[in-house]
Amino acid sequence: MPIFKLQFKDNVLGEFSIEPGKSLTIGRKESNDIPIENLAVSGHHAKIDSVGDGYLLTDLKSKNGSFVNNELVASHWLKEGDIVTIGKHTLVFSYAEGEDRPAEDAPGMEQTMVMDTNKYRDMLDQAMKATGTGETRVLSETQVKEQIGVLSFLAGAEGELELTKKLTKIGKDASSDIVVSGLMMAKTAITISKRPQGYSLSYLGKGTKPKVNGQTVKESVMLNDFDEIEIGTIKMQFVLKN
Amino acid sequence: MVVIESAGLTDIGRKREGNEDAFYVDDDLKLYLVADGMGGHLAGEVASGLVVETIRDYIRAVNEGEDAEQLEDSDETLSKPANQLLSGIHLANRGVHEVASSNESYSGMGSTISAIYFTDDTLIAANVGDSPIYLSHNGNIEILSITHNVITEQMAANPEAAKLIGKEYRELLTRGMGIKETVKPDICEIQFFSGDIIVISSDGLSNKVSSEEIFEVVDEEKPEKACQTLVNMANERGGEDNITVIVLKIKAAKDKSGFMGMISRIMLPFKKIFN
Repeated sequence: MPIFKLQFKDNVLGEFSIEPGKSLTIGRKESNDIPIENLAVSGHHAKIDSVGDGYLLTDLKSKNGSFVNNELVASHWLKEGDIVTIGKHTLVFSYAEGEDRPAEDAPGMEQTMVMDTNKYRDMLDQAMKATGTGETRVLSETQVKEQIGVLSFLAGAEGELELTKKLTKIGKDASSDIVVSGLMMAKTAITISKRPQGYSLSYLGKGTKPKVNGQTVKESVMLNDFDEIEIGTIKMQFVLKN
Repeated sequence: MVVIESAGLTDIGRKREGNEDAFYVDDDLKLYLVADGMGGHLAGEVASGLVVETIRDYIRAVNEGEDAEQLEDSDETLSKPANQLLSGIHLANRGVHEVASSNESYSGMGSTISAIYFTDDTLIAANVGDSPIYLSHNGNIEILSITHNVITEQMAANPEAAKLIGKEYRELLTRGMGIKETVKPDICEIQFFSGDIIVISSDGLSNKVSSEEIFEVVDEEKPEKACQTLVNMANERGGEDNITVIVLKIKAAKDKSGFMGMISRIMLPFKKIFN
């Protein structure tokens, strides 16, 4: 099985072996398989996994990064003699003598399952020509038309709030997106979430209950265009904008 | 504190030689992942395994403390835990992409990811690809994931033309983990309630068993048994693909604190005696 020789400058501090099918973690914390006591090393710095017939180093988004042969890597397939630098320490990777190593060039892929963007465009072009309608496009997140919900205040406050957040909080707490006062008001009384089917309003189960179109909400409801929401002293209307 | 009754199961199916799906269930981290790998030979397995392990390790590191570095691409419209989950997904994407582009035998490999991550009072659902995340609340079934394939995206943009898209293209993914250097997951964060049930699966299940059928089983059976029943159903209907399913039943959505909490804590030993 391959080994890692841990070095600091010219001193060898230890050797760690990795068994096929196993993983090793590297970091400052003692719970790591290869602990390195040094402030330049993150608590959970990197890991090495035995994957297929090779060994893969993955940096765990460490503060100072992981380097292989002096190049910064997010992940790297280890080869004989690779020098991994973690902080100021190095780990030298080597196979045991006569040990099987992964083939340098394995056969290619059977098929690709994700659309290549160019192929996608060609395919759509053909579909469009056949109908003679509209223009083709490969959707990217900026092109997808999304309706944005807006709360416009009817009473208790003025103006409007665009619901761009995935989760909008309404309650007494000062960090809320809409702050509502009141004796029975909870820190967070209701939330409005943006979900695939649209916006939903949820009551968190404490204090003053909200009303939507005059109906008390006990758990959650989907919001429709022009719904009227009431919570404590505040009244607002929900509107969808393109 | 939320109490979750959970189970997960993966099965090779009836036709495939290997299982390219991977999943992860962790009631302590409250993290639940399904990844459906793609690419020949071992590559699909490598991709899905790498995705699940990287997100798991990242979330674990974040939960343990001080080295919780956020990736630079954090989104201000999201809560901190939602950003952490996204960071884990971005990290996993980069990892798979790097492996795929640096090693020929893994070139072109990729994976889907569907993740559920609980905070104290919300649940976060994020996904890339076509592994569905279902939520059942009071008997209503809703899909929390966005399907990133050709037919779903084009139906939204231009339904007339979408109908003419050839069968061979319909199910192809438009986004995948590890395909490009960056990826855009879809994410939502919502309130959950006691009694809510979540199912995450690979398309090996969702192509064979409808969401209504899934919840008929899940409503009746304990998560562990339900997973087995669902896998069996997909296999009985052909089992052409690998099948993976996670079932989560949310038991208690809120902390019992204050006076009523105290009463129920005092009463607990008595209840045990009388039951």
